Amino acid sequence: MPAAQSRDLRLDFFRGLALIFIFVDHIPENFLSYFTIQAVQFYDAAEVFIFISGYTAALVYGRTLALQGPPYAVARILSRAWQLYIAHIFLFVIFTAEVSYTVTTFNNPMYYDEMRVGDFLDEPHIAIGKALLLQFQPTFFDILPLYIILLAIFPIVLLGLRLQPLIVLIPSFLLYTVVQFADLSVPAYPDGHVWYFNPLAWQFLFVAGAALGLERVRKDAWLRFSRDALPFAAILVAAGFLIKLSWTIHGVWEPFPGFFLKELWPINKNNLSPVRLVTFFAMLAVVAALVRNDAAFLRLSSARPLILCGQQSLEIFCLGILLSALGHFVLSEYNTDIALQIFVNLAGILVMCLTAKMIDWYKTMGRADRSRPSCLNR
Amino acid sequence: MRSLAVALAIALMPPLAGALRGSPACEVPEELMQFDHKLPHLAEKLQTHEPVKIVAIGGASTTGLAAGSSDFAYPHRLQEILARWYPFSPITVVNRGVPRQTAQQMLDRFPTDVIPEDPVLVIWETGTTDAVRGVEVDDFAATLQSGIDELKAHGIDIILVDMQFSHSTMTIIDFERYLNALHRAGDVNDLDVFQRFELMRFWSEQNVFNFDGVAKEERASLAANVYDCIARKLAEAIRVALR
Repeated sequence: MPAAQSRDLRLDFFRGLALIFIFVDHIPENFLSYFTIQAVQFYDAAEVFIFISGYTAALVYGRTLALQGPPYAVARILSRAWQLYIAHIFLFVIFTAEVSYTVTTFNNPMYYDEMRVGDFLDEPHIAIGKALLLQFQPTFFDILPLYIILLAIFPIVLLGLRLQPLIVLIPSFLLYTVVQFADLSVPAYPDGHVWYFNPLAWQFLFVAGAALGLERVRKDAWLRFSRDALPFAAILVAAGFLIKLSWTIHGVWEPFPGFFLKELWPINKNNLSPVRLVTFFAMLAVVAALVRNDAAFLRLSSARPLILCGQQSLEIFCLGILLSALGHFVLSEYNTDIALQIFVNLAGILVMCLTAKMIDWYKTMGRADRSRPSCLNR
Repeated sequence: MRSLAVALAIALMPPLAGALRGSPACEVPEELMQFDHKLPHLAEKLQTHEPVKIVAIGGASTTGLAAGSSDFAYPHRLQEILARWYPFSPITVVNRGVPRQTAQQMLDRFPTDVIPEDPVLVIWETGTTDAVRGVEVDDFAATLQSGIDELKAHGIDIILVDMQFSHSTMTIIDFERYLNALHRAGDVNDLDVFQRFELMRFWSEQNVFNFDGVAKEERASLAANVYDCIARKLAEAIRVALR
């Protein structure tokens, strides 16, 4: 397949890495989270994931759009969003089972009055409806609704970008800017909650990724800009690295100073604070300049599992969320030994990589199966 | 973040028995009892033997309902202990606990429940309801900051108290982000944070207090014992800060 040969493995590699980081970071109090990107940068794997998802969505569906026309491209995008929606409902059912279990085994009066996590079980007719409407986003399960919404609006984004990137980028950026100043958020259930990942802000990262992805298809020289900005970007990345690393060390060992902690903290994630966004783009420019898409390490067999994870991102993403919930459950049910933590992390990563390999095998077989009778058509 | 330091400290600790002193039930590793910041206003009142008023604002665990009466709640026990230690100043600890309130709802009560009492020290126990309801963690941090600023503007000393540890809800409530926010708020404002979460986790792991298989009637007295330990540790923390 020529498409596979020209595939930019950097995208798959870094998205695979982001998926592993999301899994690790989603297990609370996880020792290994000191070794993910959020320990040394203001942004975390969520930005990497959303950006690359926008970029590849534009690559893949942009090609569909060019070859098979808008109706089919739109249908493909929406069918992807539908798959995600099903995954969200599945995760919600698992969460409900977890809460029901906890509520029925709760016997401690000291917490009973405070930790009424099972309140929504008292009104299932409302809670389930809200979950179906993406309004109910339990902790730990809040990034999927963002992804679903981003894909649902993607047909318009893609068609607009094809016409003229600026007619999409400018409104998208303006909306992001408004959110930073006005306290705009999307309400959720129960009353008083909002979407954890504010889609009005995070859409900009996805749209920016899509614009760059599409420009690439058109062989436009957008990225030359990033090369000119490289020295500035490198300084930002280095500064972000030093500051955030000092915070991480300060968190573990208090006598070590957290640089600019009083000035910068807290850095808002819900609305994708400009500090996060700017340092992410800086890192992007640096990585795009330093890591060529024919970089040797991408061909190494040790990079293969990550690349496969990145290629099967939907399945591996959902699996990762599920596994981190499971890992968290195991760790809090038994103990939080560093040894058990490392075991849980490695087991989860192994399951993710093996699943990616299996899905890859399954899809390859499916393609081979389809291509045999149809070789006359070539 | 912070919890790793604690986990390491506990793991690297010399044999536990050696580190435990005094009343065995309440003891915790020394690492959990480090308080570096002073309580200047409280110290001054105690030095001049003036009356001391402390306001404890918080949620259900401040009211002490689980123990059956506010007489068993930590603020009341704290008052008794401090009165014994500092006999020259009349000490009152006012209980301003209201169950199931977010930090914001508590902050809204400051003008009516806290400031008019003219306290010299406020003990602010918060975060549980925010974590349970999933309040935006940055909003939680901002609320803490406004509360701290307001109290500081009135010349009031502050101790923050973090959440209760509950083994069974750990998998469905994400406490970590709220704990980190609360500890960081203490950090950037040079305040001491009373690490109730880690203390209670330690007791839970050491099986000091176990509610499993305890008859319903006895649970209240067990809860009273926990609150008593909390009060003792808090009193010790205050004594360390006054040193």
